[in-house]
Amino acid sequence: MEAVLSQEKHAHAGGHAHGESFIRHYIFSTDHKMIAKQFMFTAIFFLFIGGAFALFIRWQLAYPGQPIPLIGQLLPSTWVNAQGAVTAEWYTQLLTMHGTIMIFAVIIPLLVGTFGNFAIPLMIGADDMAFPFLNMVSFWLFPLAGVIMMSGFLMEGGSAAAGWTGYPPLSAIASTGQTLWIVALFLIGFSSILGGVNYITTILNMRAPGMKMFDMPMTVWAVFITAIIITIGTPVLAAALSMLFMDNFLSTSFFVPAHLTVATRDMSRTAGGGQPLLWQHLFWFYSHPAVYIMILPGMGVVSDVLSTFSRKPLYGYKAMVYAIIAIAFLGIIVWGHHMFQSGMNPLLGTTFMVSTMVIAVPSAIKTFNWLGTMWRGKMEFTTPMLNAVAFVSMFVIGGLSGIFMASTPVDVFIHDTYFIVGHIHYVLFGGSLFAIFAGLHYWFPKMSGRMYDERLGKLHFWITFISFNATFFPMHILGIGGMMRRIYDPTVYDFLKPFQPMNEFITISAIVLGFAQFILVYNLAHSWFYGKKAKRNPWRANTLEWQAPSPPPHGNFDTELRVYRGPYEYSSPESVQDYLPQTVSPEELLAQRQRHEERLAQQEHAQPVA
Amino acid sequence: MLDWLPENVSIFGEGVDHLFTLIYYITVAIFILVNVIYVAFIIRYRRKRKGERAYHYHGNNLLEFSWTALPFVLFLFLAFYSDGIWEDIKYSDRTPNPDLVVEVMGQTYMWHFRYPGSDGIFGRRDAKFMGTTNPFGIDPDDPNGKDDYTTINSMTIPVNKTVLVHLSSMDVIHSFFLPNMRVKQDAVPGQWVDVWFNSMKTGKYEIACAELCGSGHYLMRAVLDVKSQSAFDGWIDEQYGSQLAALSAPAAASAPNADASQNDQSAPAVSPTH
Repeated sequence: MEAVLSQEKHAHAGGHAHGESFIRHYIFSTDHKMIAKQFMFTAIFFLFIGGAFALFIRWQLAYPGQPIPLIGQLLPSTWVNAQGAVTAEWYTQLLTMHGTIMIFAVIIPLLVGTFGNFAIPLMIGADDMAFPFLNMVSFWLFPLAGVIMMSGFLMEGGSAAAGWTGYPPLSAIASTGQTLWIVALFLIGFSSILGGVNYITTILNMRAPGMKMFDMPMTVWAVFITAIIITIGTPVLAAALSMLFMDNFLSTSFFVPAHLTVATRDMSRTAGGGQPLLWQHLFWFYSHPAVYIMILPGMGVVSDVLSTFSRKPLYGYKAMVYAIIAIAFLGIIVWGHHMFQSGMNPLLGTTFMVSTMVIAVPSAIKTFNWLGTMWRGKMEFTTPMLNAVAFVSMFVIGGLSGIFMASTPVDVFIHDTYFIVGHIHYVLFGGSLFAIFAGLHYWFPKMSGRMYDERLGKLHFWITFISFNATFFPMHILGIGGMMRRIYDPTVYDFLKPFQPMNEFITISAIVLGFAQFILVYNLAHSWFYGKKAKRNPWRANTLEWQAPSPPPHGNFDTELRVYRGPYEYSSPESVQDYLPQTVSPEELLAQRQRHEERLAQQEHAQPVA
Repeated sequence: MLDWLPENVSIFGEGVDHLFTLIYYITVAIFILVNVIYVAFIIRYRRKRKGERAYHYHGNNLLEFSWTALPFVLFLFLAFYSDGIWEDIKYSDRTPNPDLVVEVMGQTYMWHFRYPGSDGIFGRRDAKFMGTTNPFGIDPDDPNGKDDYTTINSMTIPVNKTVLVHLSSMDVIHSFFLPNMRVKQDAVPGQWVDVWFNSMKTGKYEIACAELCGSGHYLMRAVLDVKSQSAFDGWIDEQYGSQLAALSAPAAASAPNADASQNDQSAPAVSPTH
C-alpha cells in the first residue's frame, strides 16, 4: 500500500515531464510555484518602471526645468519640452503612475502574489492551491491590468494624473488615461479578490495532517489575515472605482457637485449633487487596510527569517498572531486619519485619532517581540537576515513618524507635505521592500534550486540600506519645512528655496538607490542558472517547505508529511541539532538522540586508544 | 530638526508647535531606546562558533502584557492631549468671535478672496451664478453684494485679529495652506468649510495649495499681507474706492449723480473689523 502511494506521488511529482506542453508549464500554468515566479518577474519589471519614474520626478525636484541627462532629448515631445526637461503635465502623470505602480504592481504582487503563492502550499504541506485555475486567472489579470494602465501614456492627454489617490472631481473630469487607470485598478482588485479567496480556502482546508492553526508559521498567518482584509476591503474599492468610472465616462454625479466651473470638459451633461468626500471615504476604507496588506506579509516573512537566523524560537508566537489580528481589525476603522484636513466633521477627526493611536500598540508589540527573538540568540547575518534586521529598524522609524500624523493638530501642518512622503517610504520601502528582499533571498534556494551569491547579496543590501536612508530621511525635514508633496517646482515658493540643496542631495541618493537594484537583479538572474546547487534545507529551518526537494516538483513533496510541533523549535534541548523540523516524529527524535549518544559513547571509548 | 519649521506667527500655532516638539522628543527617545537595545543585541548575540546554541525560550506573558499596556497608555495620553488643541483649532463652537470674515475660493490655479465691503455684509451667493467672471457666484440682484470686493492671489488681514475664512472651491479640490499660520484646510467644491487664524505679527507670508489640483498645482501661490490695524483700514479704503470707481466708471459718463458716488467714497468706510 505504501509503495503504491509513493509511486503515485512520484508519478505526480514528475508532473510536467510527461506531456505538459511549454504553454501549460510556463505561461498558462496552474502550478502555484510557477504562478509565484510569474508574479515575481512581472512585479520586478514594474519595480524598475516605477523606479525610473521616481528618478525623473527626483531630477525635476532637484534641478527644476533642467534637461534630463543623457536621455532627455530622446523622449517624446508630449513628455519633455524642447530642451529635454520634464513638463509639468508629464510630471503629474509620473507621480500618479509611480505611486500606483509601486503599490498595485510591485509591493502587493510581490508580497501577496509571490510569497503568498509560493509559501502557502509549501509551508502548510499542500501539493497546490485549493483552486489552481482561479490562481492562474488571478495572475493573468495582473499583466493585463498593467498593459491597460501603461497604455494611458499613449493616449491623448497622457496617463492618469490625479495622484495615486485619484481624488475627484480632478479624476472625474480627466482624460482617457484616467479611465484606463480606473479599469486597470478594477482588474487588479479583481485579481486580489481571486487570490484572497484562494488563500483563505487553502489555509483553512489543506494543511498537512497534524498541523493546527497555531502550528502555522507567521508568514502563513500573515498572508491568511491579509487575504481576509483583501476580501473585505477590495470590493469597496471596486464599488468606488465603478462609480468614478461612471462619473468620468457616463457623466453621472456620484462625486461631482453641481455648477463646477471646468474649462477642459463640457459639464452640461453632468447633473451635479455629488459629494467629493464620498470617494475619499470609500477609497481610504480600502486603501488604509491596503497599507496593512502591504506590511503584514512582510512582518510574517521577517518573523520567520529572524527566528531562523537567530536560531531561536519566535518570541511570543501567540502574541504575534493576536497582534496581526488586532492590526487587521483596527486597520478597518482608522481610514479617516487620511482625511483630517479634508473638510470632514472635526469630531470625526477626534475619533479617528484615537483609533489610530491605538493601532500603534500592536505594532509596538511586534517590534518588542522581534527584539525578544534576537535576545540571547545566535545570529547568523546572511543576506535575508540583514534585510530582516533592517526591516525592523526602518519599520520603527516609519511607525514613529506615523504618530506625528496621528496627532490631528500636528497633522494640520504636516499633512500633504514631504513628511508624509518620507513616512510612506519608510513603511513601504524600509518596511515592505526590505521584507521582500529578505524573502526573495530566503526562498531563492527553494524557488530556483540554487544558491544566490552571498557577497553580491550583502553588497546590494548595504548600498540599498545606506542610500535608502539618505534618500528618504531628509524628506521628513523637507516636510517640517512645509514642502508640499506633488509640486513640480519647489523654487516657486520663497519659503522652500533654502531646501534646494537638500533636494539635490536626495536626488543623488535616489539615483544610487535606483541603480543599486541592478545588483539584485544580476545576482538573482545569474544565480538562477549558474549558482551553486542548493540543498533541501540550506538554512537548517524547521518549516515544511524545506522538507521538499529544491526546487520542489509539481505536487511539491516526495515524502508523506505529518506535523508534530510548531514551526519555531530552534535550539531545542530535545534535539540533537540546533533545529527541530515540524515533521520529525517523537519516535524519530528519540532514535536520533540514541544514535547521537551511541556516537558520543564510541568517541569516548575511542579516545584513550588514540 | 524642528528648527526647520517655518516661523510661527499664529496664536494657536504655539499649541501645535508645542505638541510637535513633545511628540518629537517622545519618538526620538523611543527610537534611541529601541535601537540601542537592537544594536547591542546584534553585537552581543551573533554566532561566533559552529555548534553554539541559542537560549530555547518562547516568551513571557508578563513582559507581553507590560509592553502592550505601556504603549497603550502613552498613545492614549497623546491622543487626548492632542484632542484639546484640535478642538480649539477646528471645532466650530470653540472658534472665537471673528473680527474679519473673508471668503476664499480656490480655482485652478489661483486663489480668490472676497471681502464684505463697507456694509460688513456679504451679498447673497448662489452656485448657479458661479463662473470664471463670478467665482463666488454673487447674486447680481442683491444690493448687499454691490460693495463686496475681491482680490486674486493676495489676502490682506489686520494683525492680532481673529480672521474667519469661509473656504470653498469652484472646480477641483484644493487645500488652503498657510505654513506660518499652521493652517491647512481642503477647499472642497460644493461645500463651505470654516477655518480661522489670528496672526501675531505683521509681514508678508506665503499661501500655497497643498492638494494636487492639476499640472499647475505648484503655481497656485498667493501672498498673505498682515498689516497693522491702521494700515489695514487704509488698505480697505483704497480697495473700496477703486472697487466703487470701477463700478461707477461706466455709469459716471451718463448719470447725473456722479457726485453721489464721490460722496460715498469719501464717507467713512466702515471696516468690518470695527
